[in-house]
Amino acid sequence: MSSLSAADLAQLRAQLQDAVLSCTERCLYQSAKWAAELLNSLPSSDDHGSDTEIDSPMSDPPPQTPTDQIHKDAMELRLEAREMPKFLLAKTFFDCREYDRCAAVFLPSGLPKGSIHPTSSPAAKLKQAAKGKPKMGTPSRTRTSPESVQGLSQKALFLALYAKYMAGEKRMNEDSEMILGPQDGGVTLNKELAVISAVLQEWFANLQASGRHSQGWLEYLYGIVLAKGKNEKLAIEYLIRSVHRYAYNWGAWQELSSLLGTVEELQQVLSQIPQNIMAFIFNISASQELYQSTEQVHNSLTQILGIFQTSAFLQTQRGLLHYHTKDFEEAEQIFSNLLETDPYRIDSLDNYSNILYVMGLRPKLAFLAQLATATDKFRPETCCVVGNYYSLKSEHEKAVMYFRRALTLDRNFLSAWTLMGHEFVEMKNTHAAIESYRRAVDVNRKDYRAWYGLGQTYEVLEMHSYALFYHQRAAALRPYDPKMWMAVGQCFGKVGKVMNGIRAYKRALVAGSYYDTGAASSFGSGENPGLGGGILDPDVLYQIALLYERMQNTQECASYMELVLAQEEGPEYEESFGGEIGGGVGVTPTTSKARLWLARYEYMRGMYQRAMELANELCQDGVEVEDAKALVRDIRSRIDKERGSS
Amino acid sequence: MATSRYLTPQKISLLVLVKLYCNSALPSSATIPILSFILSHSITPHPSPARARPARGFQDGTFSIRAFEDVLQAQASSMPGRTLLDVFLKHMWEVNSFDALHNLFTDLGGLLARTRDDPEDGAAADEEQPPDRIFLSRTSPLGTFVRRARLEFTRLQFDDAIKLWSAFIIYRAPTAQWTKRIAGLASAGVDINAAEMGLEPGSRLYEVAYGHLEEEDPNKETLSIDDFDRLLEFQLDQLQRLGSRIPDEMRVRLRNMLGPSGLVLRQSHLVKFFDAWKGGDYTSAFDSLHRYYDYALQSRDKIHYQYALLHMAILQADFGCFGEAIAAINETIATARENQDMACLNFSLSWLNHMSKAYPRQMKGAGYMGMLGSERDGLIFLKQKAREAKMHNLLSATLLNEAKLSLATGESVPRALEHMFQSSHLTIRENINNHGGWMLLHSTLYSRLGLSHLSSAYCDLLLHCYGATTSTDDHIRAYCRSAFAAIQTGRYDEGLALLEKIDASAHRTLKFHQYIYYCTGIINLKRAIRRTDWTACSHLLSSLKPDASTDPELAFLINESRIDYLTARGLFSEAFDAIEDQAAILKEDSADILHRIGMLLAKATLFCRVGKPERGFSVALRAASVAFKARLMPSLWTAMGVLATILNALGEFEGARRVLGSVVPQALEHSDNNLIASLYSALSDSYIGLAGLDDPSSSSGARSRATNVSRAELYIDRARDYYKRTEDLSAECEQIMKKALLAKLRGDEKLAEEWAQNHNRVWEEGRLRVVDGEE
Repeated sequence: MSSLSAADLAQLRAQLQDAVLSCTERCLYQSAKWAAELLNSLPSSDDHGSDTEIDSPMSDPPPQTPTDQIHKDAMELRLEAREMPKFLLAKTFFDCREYDRCAAVFLPSGLPKGSIHPTSSPAAKLKQAAKGKPKMGTPSRTRTSPESVQGLSQKALFLALYAKYMAGEKRMNEDSEMILGPQDGGVTLNKELAVISAVLQEWFANLQASGRHSQGWLEYLYGIVLAKGKNEKLAIEYLIRSVHRYAYNWGAWQELSSLLGTVEELQQVLSQIPQNIMAFIFNISASQELYQSTEQVHNSLTQILGIFQTSAFLQTQRGLLHYHTKDFEEAEQIFSNLLETDPYRIDSLDNYSNILYVMGLRPKLAFLAQLATATDKFRPETCCVVGNYYSLKSEHEKAVMYFRRALTLDRNFLSAWTLMGHEFVEMKNTHAAIESYRRAVDVNRKDYRAWYGLGQTYEVLEMHSYALFYHQRAAALRPYDPKMWMAVGQCFGKVGKVMNGIRAYKRALVAGSYYDTGAASSFGSGENPGLGGGILDPDVLYQIALLYERMQNTQECASYMELVLAQEEGPEYEESFGGEIGGGVGVTPTTSKARLWLARYEYMRGMYQRAMELANELCQDGVEVEDAKALVRDIRSRIDKERGSS
Repeated sequence: MATSRYLTPQKISLLVLVKLYCNSALPSSATIPILSFILSHSITPHPSPARARPARGFQDGTFSIRAFEDVLQAQASSMPGRTLLDVFLKHMWEVNSFDALHNLFTDLGGLLARTRDDPEDGAAADEEQPPDRIFLSRTSPLGTFVRRARLEFTRLQFDDAIKLWSAFIIYRAPTAQWTKRIAGLASAGVDINAAEMGLEPGSRLYEVAYGHLEEEDPNKETLSIDDFDRLLEFQLDQLQRLGSRIPDEMRVRLRNMLGPSGLVLRQSHLVKFFDAWKGGDYTSAFDSLHRYYDYALQSRDKIHYQYALLHMAILQADFGCFGEAIAAINETIATARENQDMACLNFSLSWLNHMSKAYPRQMKGAGYMGMLGSERDGLIFLKQKAREAKMHNLLSATLLNEAKLSLATGESVPRALEHMFQSSHLTIRENINNHGGWMLLHSTLYSRLGLSHLSSAYCDLLLHCYGATTSTDDHIRAYCRSAFAAIQTGRYDEGLALLEKIDASAHRTLKFHQYIYYCTGIINLKRAIRRTDWTACSHLLSSLKPDASTDPELAFLINESRIDYLTARGLFSEAFDAIEDQAAILKEDSADILHRIGMLLAKATLFCRVGKPERGFSVALRAASVAFKARLMPSLWTAMGVLATILNALGEFEGARRVLGSVVPQALEHSDNNLIASLYSALSDSYIGLAGLDDPSSSSGARSRATNVSRAELYIDRARDYYKRTEDLSAECEQIMKKALLAKLRGDEKLAEEWAQNHNRVWEEGRLRVVDGEE
């Protein structure tokens, strides 16, 4: 795959070119940008040929022919040619953001109002349509003006409906008013969805009969509409149909990946889509979004980067994969390089700022914020970067202000919701925090940080069984993150399910040893950075011990306490007491607590010698000295008494 | 770049310096210069009338980093071999990223002394700090400066903060070569991040972040709105207090500063208003005033309305629209009364009072009937109000007005002095800047009492000691008065030179320009009359036509000079008409008693000139008695001179001689050469008359005649001498004629011939001087 033949490369180039043009025609600006970026990241191998003779007929025609034939049937071309002036008018209206006017160019005013929650009929009907049994029980409400819609080319219809959709979105945002205000419950609906849905339903129903070939764009739009209506299964189906018809519309792939909640679903979808280069990229990005940073994904990424050598998008994916595995240094390096190659690129800078935040690189973060602000201060990404900076400076009010601004610019900007939640937690505004996290989760169910944040907030509110649910969701998304499992274990402990708690903690131990690169928390607390390989987290061990103690299982408890102590020196039992070099954690409050517990335990058991040893060690370490001294006194008196009695 | 509200690179640098000070990094010898440097730049100096304003640069908010260099380079730091500048620059360049700047502001809180409100972090911090650390009290000047800076930084939006950072980089840039002396900092460059990422100026990323820096004009003034406010307030203060216009250079700078930022501050309209007003541009002054108050309304409520009206009234009156002015001031008074704004109310009443006094005719013509009965009642009322409202300024001004009134009506001088000293006491105790008016009044008082040296001493005092703080108006008046004092002794050129000495900027204000123009004109006119240069006189008179807006004092002087001219030229009936007219006007206006006596004297002199001195007897006597009562000594002496002439004409030589004999010594002190000369001339006439009465047949009579004649000759010589000093050509020639006549009477034809030739020569020379003067 890494070595494509020249002809393949030429074809790919032509197809990407076509994709840019097609997307631009349909006003899918983001997809067009994506495709154009990808197009330009191809190595310019045959430049020496076209430099001298750009107009030479030899350079263009061969790749042009296949693409044209792929989805330009004569009927569409004829329709498009006929409505060209009107189309241009509509497009200019769209470009000027006059969405309603744009839609009105092609669509009649009295469109049917369908339901955005097609209960049973649409799915059934579609199947009928697919089976070639058209309009059996067509509902009368859709019967207004099918001809006017049918007489349009697909391109014009798409543009009109898309404009209608955009108008609806705009109105929805306006109705929601202030971020987290009384009107902003996340339930305000796009009122145009019903209309669009009805029109498209009708169109697809008539597709077979009209003998036309769908180009894939309308499926894409219908997929979006269905996804908005929470009809996700059908949405996925339509999106898959869309990418079958036209693979180079990145928007469709993106919608698809946002609908996938688990790896299993991804696998299922992968089996249904065509195997081409776009699917390959889709696979990588979807895996990244599902936190699947496996060796296999890395390999695929390397392969595809061989083709699109300078693609910023793909490099970002690589950076994010490193970020997910908490390999911050690497990720930072990638993003830093990206910044240098394309200083004006703001996309995904918010992720970069998250990385810098976790690493605590304040000057760099400030620099990044400065850069982003210099380029465009009214991009949600920029606002997020600035918000992150203020958060790192503990100016939470200002941070919230910037996250709010980011959300005002784009209500579906996921990371802003989550980050705003964190800020509200810092400001002890739990209700607002919960709402922010909830909105984040509503936007993207795969955001484990939001789930985790929800859990944490509920823990603050002492609603542990509630918190447990959220922690479990987070743990499901990040099965290899000990932090999640620790939270789960803690909640189990709080609600009294001790055994489950122990299991969760043990899971955390396993997960902790899985990442040998380090386990700094993604929330920046960074309590125990760089635990060496083989070291078990003493906190977890201590928690397990405590749980065992609650179960009256003193034996197990004691053995776990011993384990905690063992972590001080690390598995190699090196004598160097420096701790960090040998891999041990050294004396920490946790191990001291464990030591105190053990000393008391030994004292209770009557093993005064060992108890004495432990207590003296405690005195040496200088922690819990008072308790230790009292213990020593007790032990002395006991020993004396025993001596006296014997 | 938009203008920031308060923070500028200069202020950041000052904060760095404050931090240095708090860390006890300054050696004790440097403490005072550094602290005074910081304070002079962070705090608006309170204007003090007694002390001269510090150097101009200290007001400047746009001082460059050179200012720091100048101050710091001289100071050695506690580290040997390093100046404080090195330490300061080290700290400046340690701010090597935006984050570091942010930290600088966050750490400012540590400089402040702990209060009881935040003990939690106070306890922890106290232990860590070195013992010799200086904490700033929250309310100390430095403490407030630090707190304000912190607050303003917190208020900044991120991109504004970035702009501040960029401005700071530009500001700091000139000191880059210094960093080479400080090892380890040179490598960091502008931004540590850029250096770490290996960015060079020119690389693309660097261009995005800092590319705009090179485009910025390094000479651009970086001023915050706060600085602008201070600047404009200073301008306003100057404009209002001194009543002058903005200097051209300042106006250009202001335009440069305000122009590109797109910033329109309310005060700038006010500044424009004052400027246009003083420049005599009525329409744009009016426009700017309206604009200012339109914008003022949006930020504050109606409180400004009465002040707007007050300004408008003053403006209208200044341009001679008295009707509109009175309407406006009435509205002001009504509004102020409604809003319980005593300050404004009292001020308006005072102004109205002043106006009705200064322009009585015009005000009456405009329908002003007087608010408070008689003038005296008005003053008493104002005094009481001012006392109630503790408006010392107004009280002081009212006391001066009262003194002026009692002088004008010829009441007792001690009473006037009492008022003046009360006012002066207030001025000193309450630190009011009212010295100009007070000193001028003093000077007037002494000149009325005939103590001309004291009078000019007060003028000089005003010019030398309070020159910078008094209003330009008082300034110019003092100069003109000195000039008039100079011409009294015949030093015309000196008088004119004094007027030339007035700062050229004063001419940019229409009112002042006119004032100086009239003064110069009057001096020239007086000189021309003395020189009998009639063409120049008529020319000057035609250009010196007082109108309604002319200062009444000057208008009177011009009229007086005109009468003088007509009399001197022998146009007696015209002169008589002019005197009658003027006297009628003065009576109607119940004008200053000095002026009215002046008219009486002019009439008496006229009768003398036309050869009917006896007709002027009662007039002269009245003038003398009034002048005596009001202690208007120069008038009294003049009246006595006229009276002596009349007595001479009536043959009462002995009486005339006695009158003159008692007056001349006093008049000599007054040093009005013309007056002295005329007195001497009259005295010589008396002696001649006395000589005529002597019986030449008896030996004692012959001896007494010879004595009288020789005395007469002595006084003629003196008169001639004094006339010569005042360049009074005809009078001088008259004295020579007398000499010649005396010689002829004595029978010494040769001497008489000599005197006659002498006369012709003097006349010719005088005429020649006129011709020369014209060329």
